[in-house]
Amino acid sequence: MEFDRKSLEHLKKLCRIECSEEEEADILTSLQKVLGHMGQLKEVNTEGVPSCNHVLRGMLRNQMRDDEVKNLLPRDKFLGNAPDQIGGMVRVPPVLKG
Amino acid sequence: MKNLHHFSATELRDAFLKGKVKAVEIARHFLDRIERHGDVKAFLSTFGERALQKAEALDRKREKKLPVGKLAAIPVALKDNMHLSGEITTCGSQFLKNYRAPFDATAVRLIEEHDGLILGKTNLDEFAMGSSTENSSFFPTHNPWDLKCVPGGSSGGSAAAVAARLCLLATGSDTGGSIRQPAGLCGVVGYKPTYGRVSRYGLVAFGSSWDQIGPLAPTVADAALAMEVMGRHCEHDATSLDLPPESYSLPKDLKEVKIGIPRKFLESLQPEISKNYFAAIETMKSLGAKTIDVDLDILKHSIATYYILATAEASTNLARFDGIRYGIRSAKAKTLDQVYEYSRQIGFGREVKKRIMLGTYVLSAGYQDAFYKKAQKVRTLMIDAFEKAFSDCDAIIFPVAPTGAFESGTITDPVAMYLQDCFTIPANIAGLPAVSVPSGFDSRRMPLGIQIYGPQLCDVSVLQYAHAYEQASRHARIPPRYEA
Repeated sequence: MEFDRKSLEHLKKLCRIECSEEEEADILTSLQKVLGHMGQLKEVNTEGVPSCNHVLRGMLRNQMRDDEVKNLLPRDKFLGNAPDQIGGMVRVPPVLKG
Repeated sequence: MKNLHHFSATELRDAFLKGKVKAVEIARHFLDRIERHGDVKAFLSTFGERALQKAEALDRKREKKLPVGKLAAIPVALKDNMHLSGEITTCGSQFLKNYRAPFDATAVRLIEEHDGLILGKTNLDEFAMGSSTENSSFFPTHNPWDLKCVPGGSSGGSAAAVAARLCLLATGSDTGGSIRQPAGLCGVVGYKPTYGRVSRYGLVAFGSSWDQIGPLAPTVADAALAMEVMGRHCEHDATSLDLPPESYSLPKDLKEVKIGIPRKFLESLQPEISKNYFAAIETMKSLGAKTIDVDLDILKHSIATYYILATAEASTNLARFDGIRYGIRSAKAKTLDQVYEYSRQIGFGREVKKRIMLGTYVLSAGYQDAFYKKAQKVRTLMIDAFEKAFSDCDAIIFPVAPTGAFESGTITDPVAMYLQDCFTIPANIAGLPAVSVPSGFDSRRMPLGIQIYGPQLCDVSVLQYAHAYEQASRHARIPPRYEA
């Protein structure tokens, strides 16, 4: 199926990104070109080939550690980067109404 | 004594250790150069006071004959996508223009512990997405060999800073060539270690199965020194290799080393690049290397594979930039959804938006099998192909890029820009160590480079081969404008 303006509208919702009209036109053309290039993978025979889940073969093992509580990021340091805060917490617009 | 910026990092460290130069003089000299050569636009921020304080402390340590670190007094720059506690990490993005790092990246902490003098942070393509540093949301960086040309990317600021000798060591991150391609285009050494060799803790994530931090420096010995410091296991990164630290001693020949040439994959090289490539192979042969052809034809699908998988990972990683906990938040957002949508609209540049959308698309219902899952299988085939090739040889040689540095603004087609990385991406696909070393100049006197790839975990031998080639070829130079 062709990648068109409707696909882009859907994609914007999935990505939670708004764009200007001018940006949209450019993004649409770019994605069409790039997806066209990616179509070449169809010609590779991958029957019976397993998915790559880790690049380092033979190095795969669980990394276990004790689940200890540590104070790695103090609250005030964290909140120093928050765009809006109230009473030591991050403030967001109301989620539930009424 | 020669100018301080004519030393390699290792030589300058040794001069400091012998008491021939003070750390404070070094810090002042390079901070002054950064200011004087602002035309390169390599730096996003500098830490003059911090660096001078560190240098004074280091001079006192040396006077008292206390032990000093392996990077003592080496002037260092950090790519601005890794954290230095208390300083801003912009990642080249408006989204993070005020983000103050609450902790040190592990690689950065190790550099500090080993007494490197951190002078500042360098420019990059926004979120490390690009091959020219034109995608920085602040300003483009220029190539010190010709300011009209790009320095490559995404670690373009780090490569330009080392090339113009505004520092003697810089960090980069490499997802599809972001250390090696700019290093090649700027005529310096750039090293991407085996996946997992350097901790990614404190590096802003792009493609987690691809990203790797590594050094850019004037010489291979400098890069090897940096690897001795940065190549450490780290408990904060579950993909960090839990292996003993390695020692990087560097012999000078390539006797009996078997070099693989992916001849068929390279058959459409531009004549100038081809000539340079085969001249480098001849040099290696003169040092005792044997050559053998290897079949890596499947790599012609690297770009497609990479841009499916890396953007898929990026779309997931960049979901955290939601305008809630850190970064910018749109002032006109009234609802929670608007906070996400408007903040991401104003915070992200166009290339980042494109890649998030592309990555989301290839993961979305109805397309995941055709794109994402297919590419994961092709990635397996490529790793198989490398395994087979390395059963016949010790190293494989590639050019760094299809051309030397191009002029700013001249590549506008997205696929053409992505093709810049066609010789670097394969190393990330298979998690291999790969180094880019200067190999001469094109007809415009712009630098060219070759790459040496090794099998997984063979970081030391890759740098040993590169050192031997570098010693025999000696192509590295300082751009004329920055010699004085």
